[in-house]
Amino acid sequence: MRTLLLTLLSFLLLPGAAFADVRVVASIPDLAAIAKEVGGEHVKVTSLALPTQDPHFVDAKPNLALELSKADLLLVAGLQLEVGWLPSLQTGARNAKIQTGSLGYLDCSQFVQLLQVPVQKVDRSMGDIHPGGNPHYLYDPRRVKDVAAGIAGRLAQLDPEWAEHYATHLADFQARLDDAIVRWERDLAGLRGQPVIGFHMSWPYLADWLGIEMVEHIEPKPGIPPTPAHVARVLGVARERGVKIILQEVYYPTTTADLIADKSGAKVVVLQGGPDVRGGQGWIAYMDGQVAALKAGVSK
Amino acid sequence: MFLLFGLLWLPTALAQGEASTPPAADEEGDLPSPEAAPSQPADAEDPSDAGEDPYALSPEELAEIEAALGADAAALPQPTQPSLPQGLQGPATSSAPAGQRGAVNLQSMNPNLSFIADVALAGFNSDEPLQTGGHDPTTNGFNLQQLELSVGSAVDPYFRFDSNIVFSQFGVEIEEVYATTLGLPGRFQLRTGQFLTRFGRINNTHPHAWSFVDQPFAIGRIFGGEGNRGLGLEGSVLLPLPWYVELVASSTMANGASTARSFWGAQDLGVRSPADLQTTAALKQFFPLSDNWSLMTGLSYAVGPNASGRDNHSEVYGGDLYLRYRPISAGSWTIVSLTSEWMLRRRQISGDVLSDVNSYTQLFWQFARRWAVAARYELGTAPWDLSGEVALDPLDPSWTDLRQRTSANVTFWPTEFSRLRLQTAADMHSGRRTPDLSVFLACEFVVGAHGAHKF
Repeated sequence: MRTLLLTLLSFLLLPGAAFADVRVVASIPDLAAIAKEVGGEHVKVTSLALPTQDPHFVDAKPNLALELSKADLLLVAGLQLEVGWLPSLQTGARNAKIQTGSLGYLDCSQFVQLLQVPVQKVDRSMGDIHPGGNPHYLYDPRRVKDVAAGIAGRLAQLDPEWAEHYATHLADFQARLDDAIVRWERDLAGLRGQPVIGFHMSWPYLADWLGIEMVEHIEPKPGIPPTPAHVARVLGVARERGVKIILQEVYYPTTTADLIADKSGAKVVVLQGGPDVRGGQGWIAYMDGQVAALKAGVSK
Repeated sequence: MFLLFGLLWLPTALAQGEASTPPAADEEGDLPSPEAAPSQPADAEDPSDAGEDPYALSPEELAEIEAALGADAAALPQPTQPSLPQGLQGPATSSAPAGQRGAVNLQSMNPNLSFIADVALAGFNSDEPLQTGGHDPTTNGFNLQQLELSVGSAVDPYFRFDSNIVFSQFGVEIEEVYATTLGLPGRFQLRTGQFLTRFGRINNTHPHAWSFVDQPFAIGRIFGGEGNRGLGLEGSVLLPLPWYVELVASSTMANGASTARSFWGAQDLGVRSPADLQTTAALKQFFPLSDNWSLMTGLSYAVGPNASGRDNHSEVYGGDLYLRYRPISAGSWTIVSLTSEWMLRRRQISGDVLSDVNSYTQLFWQFARRWAVAARYELGTAPWDLSGEVALDPLDPSWTDLRQRTSANVTFWPTEFSRLRLQTAADMHSGRRTPDLSVFLACEFVVGAHGAHKF
């Protein structure tokens, strides 16, 4: 009798939790798209941030807490990328499943080889620096393979009956990704060894993958807007090194990059901040677009 | 009692959730093979050799588990380490290369600490400025508005701890210290300790989150310079509706000259019944009008005893609205927000009831990555009695006419950790023949852990 009551109570209190697919909420769209690839039709995936939004500065809108209150799994990029907005949403969600330390909380940075991990004491005189390492690792498809494996593993733990489903989808995604990586690397072979300028320090993993040399950033330090003197320096570097590409995400303003491009002969390549998950874009299709944008930059 | 029930319920709920999930029909009839699942070795041992859900338990088994857990709990008067769900992979066991995490692990057990310092240079045309906020600049020259130490961390899987300790030049004050539950069933949440009540919109926030150097005088007049806070217990729930609806109710001590001014204020007459506590209730709703537009509304009510006589009570009714435009569907730094908050206060005094209305309305426009401007209009009526006549207010005897204050400012953020703000205001108060004018140049500096912003 008591069990029956508790069961009824759990249906009342956790509407949908018992019968629905696994609800995955990702802080950023890349993780949502990857979870969709490995979860397939068995997971319902949403992203808190839009690809047009700077993931450092997302508004902690209460409807996002509502989304989290119904989640079975929260995926985060970690390394303090979401520190300014996600913790208050987690607390506000009142959902034990997705609290830090729970099985339904997955910090995906643990699955990748990180770059720019400070080896000395850091403070904010160095800008808005991430003491755990650079969090923009999802621009490297090889690391995305590792993250996909980690997410599939956690889904299998949360939902063991479907473990094989996740394993199959993961293997399929990784195989497609392997093919795509060959294609992308071929398309972007011209970038290898090229000096490139970035806006924010978002590109070490992309550079690591493609063999690009990041020679300067328009932000003098992470999160610090450029000064005229710094822009002059970046322009000097662009001219001296023959920089062909200035890379930045869609959510940063392009005026300064355009100016440097105009005066140095480089081309501004604006990349998306992530896949359009709401529009149903898969991770590989999204990366095809990123690669096409980069390729257009190289071929100029 | 309820809390106890909730905590006991958590492990049960997990078991229930898994047990009541219908085993999904596997098309090929194959066994789930956990070995095929990648990574996460903790769950690698084969949980099953039968052709059904390896984790399914019968109701009898669940009852046995409950009984066993109950017996174990009874046998352990002081559980030191709550057992974690099986297969839990914390960052400490991360697969990241060795050495990469050393610095993180060293700091892991420390709570997040941050210091926020607010200093201001102020100029007033009056010798006795009318500022009512406890952290407002109040004298000509340099002012230390506050040094706030924020400490926060998870206590264990069930609670988080937050505290704001404020240092002034003359002492230390525990502004807030409370624990919040993290996962009670039914989307309930409890908070206990000393906390700012969630009456209205601005009361629950700290100067760091304000768009102005000073507190609206509505808060100072009704609740006191520190805002309405007290020792107590708060419960809140997210209603199971398609949009965000949060119900909040709290019970707090009704004393405090600068925290419960319209209630017992400086006097503490002793709690003899629940009616001697302040009760606060609020209904908060959020409407994502589009990706770029958001609307938040709130209705609040507070009631508690006042010190004017036995069984006399004060009530405050509040309504607030926050409309925000931030174009997130296209890269932009622009933020425009409109905030308006209204409060009607009614106080029983011997043989009469005093009423007054106070409000502020402010418009904020961040027009560049580092720059914003804002303007605010405030009003506070004179108190009127049951006959509708202007009455003498024992708390503010000089408040005999409509008070209006208009403020405007410009803010520059070098980064999100520092802020410079230049603000000017004109205050028309019945106690003064000419408007009180003021100018503030205020600076804020934040060091330490990055706080998480609320909406």
